[in-house]
Amino acid sequence: MAQLTDLAQALVDLEKDRVNAIVEDKLKRGILPLEIVKELNDGMIEVGERFASCEYFISELMYSSHIMKEILVRLEPLFGQTDLRESGNMVIIGTVKGDIHDIGKNIVVTLLKNAGFRVTDMGIDVPAERFVEKLKETGAKVLGLSCLLNVAFQEMRNVVDTLTRTGIRDHVKVIIGGQPTDEKVREYVGADYYASDAVAGVKICKEIYGQ
Amino acid sequence: MQDEIQQLFEERLARYQATIALEPTDRMIVGGTGSNYFAEVYAGYTRQEIMYDINKWMAAESKFAEDFPEIDLLRSGRIWAPIFDSVGFKLYRLPGRDLPKDTDFQFVEGEWMKADEYDLLINNPVEFLIEHRLPRVLGELKERGSARSYMAFLKGGMAYMLMAQVMRERALNLEKKHGLPQPFQGVMLAPFDTLADGYRGLQGIMIDLFERPDKLLEACDALIPDSVSCAIATANPLKQYPIFMPLHRGNHPFLSPKQFDTFYWPSLFKAIMLLIEAGYTVRAYLEGDWTPNWHHWNEFPRGKIICDIDNKADISRAKKEIGNNVCLAGGILDRMFIFGTPEEIRSRVKELCETAGRDGGLILNGGCGIPYSTKPENFRAYVNATLEYGKYSDTLRPKVKKVPPPSVGKIPSPRVITPWEVKLREFGGVMGDETLIKGVWETLEQRAFCWLRFWDW
Repeated sequence: MAQLTDLAQALVDLEKDRVNAIVEDKLKRGILPLEIVKELNDGMIEVGERFASCEYFISELMYSSHIMKEILVRLEPLFGQTDLRESGNMVIIGTVKGDIHDIGKNIVVTLLKNAGFRVTDMGIDVPAERFVEKLKETGAKVLGLSCLLNVAFQEMRNVVDTLTRTGIRDHVKVIIGGQPTDEKVREYVGADYYASDAVAGVKICKEIYGQ
Repeated sequence: MQDEIQQLFEERLARYQATIALEPTDRMIVGGTGSNYFAEVYAGYTRQEIMYDINKWMAAESKFAEDFPEIDLLRSGRIWAPIFDSVGFKLYRLPGRDLPKDTDFQFVEGEWMKADEYDLLINNPVEFLIEHRLPRVLGELKERGSARSYMAFLKGGMAYMLMAQVMRERALNLEKKHGLPQPFQGVMLAPFDTLADGYRGLQGIMIDLFERPDKLLEACDALIPDSVSCAIATANPLKQYPIFMPLHRGNHPFLSPKQFDTFYWPSLFKAIMLLIEAGYTVRAYLEGDWTPNWHHWNEFPRGKIICDIDNKADISRAKKEIGNNVCLAGGILDRMFIFGTPEEIRSRVKELCETAGRDGGLILNGGCGIPYSTKPENFRAYVNATLEYGKYSDTLRPKVKKVPPPSVGKIPSPRVITPWEVKLREFGGVMGDETLIKGVWETLEQRAFCWLRFWDW
């Protein structure tokens, strides 16, 4: 990885005050918000790498996202019409119907975004039909299904069956993840991949898109 | 008949106590889970029926006890849902109310304490709870001072006592009709989890770790005495059963090892030591994966704790690393109960009985519970195989442990809102036996305070 800028490094070091000071300074000097966000994104990628290598934990990951979110709130009015999210390979993700837990899913979303994916987070308790609608609407090739409760196995299987019934199964790779899942659960559900943790999930997405 | 049931009860209790104490027993515990979700639905009732109708809940447990008479312990459902409705408790979604009637009840993440309220929590927890947190988590209190809010306190208090009665009836039904002890009684959260689950929420606590670490630490310590005294208030008075502790954020990789050692462990260790010194044992669910952190359980006196190992962690490794000091439960993956075969279960039970469970101190279980959608034939296979392979001795007969003597001075005094001395002054002294009046006054005060903490999670 190329040398990080001071701003990106401050974010990686989780030094919120320093991040704020550098951002304010850059704005004063007329540097475009988009340039600032790009540097911060480099920092977020490095945070994701550190999480992947067990140097950072969920606490650091969430705190870096918190710093980043505050800066984005600060910068948002300055963006004008620019849409930051118009690039990257697409992933649809959600916690299946009957389960309202989202901590694990949110970590995957953070890491995917850090890695440059365009992520549609469908939230929690998502019925199979809504996944299908979103996949058809966006043409995304990857669907991530998350759960914490083991009762969700049946619903994950239902989602895969619904993809088959609606004729889009062949166009979509399905990844499952969550505390009670494993390779046997993947077989039962009929998914393509099982992600043992958030980092594995991102790797699989990269593999699918040939990144 | 009654004598036989009583004898069966004592045999099972003694076996459980000896297992926790890492002492020799005749055989491995059967069905020694703390959370038998399968038993809730086995009789065919919906999850809503079990949570709302105590008769169906008890009937479901009886049916399970009759069909699986070999099990040594039973505790199915967790909560009598009307208590949540009485005050509009917002931390759960319930089957049949805001979830389909056959869905699990689920916890709702949220921020129920503000970042600038640490000092108040530390210095005046009663004011913090009554004035700030409870109006946020109890929907019925939203119009302060209204008739509806007063009624909510009244209904909530009544429901609290009714639920205690419901729990007593359940336990008595299992003991007197089926000779079944409970896996635990009374509950305590880790101080860090109290803050992380139902106070600051996950997002809030993760920010506090970096932005207000000193306050967070101070709050963890400040929560210890009340957490311990409220756990003891609901624990088994004879100290026969462990106190339950579902532990959440020690789950790797939420916290770095340094954060775990600094923020999570010290206050939990102190709280558990107070319980142990007071003569209790503890059953802790190490939810998720505790592998990098579980070595800390070796710091406790031997044979006082049972740790449930969840699906994500390896029971054999746990046995090697902490199994000489604490009893363990787990080893059978949830998914094996759900869509495995009786042969797979049998072979897993045999393997564990011959390895990690060979010398005792292990209770075979799913990941902190037996799943709702367990196939009955798989549970049957688990029971049969445990009886077949989990035998240690034909002659040993453990005895129920004597009630440990009350410890002196170490148990924190339960908090009261209006101390007796204040009330006595208001009375201007009393004319008869003061102790008669004081005792009940203080008991009600203490119960009322624990009611305030009941809504922690």
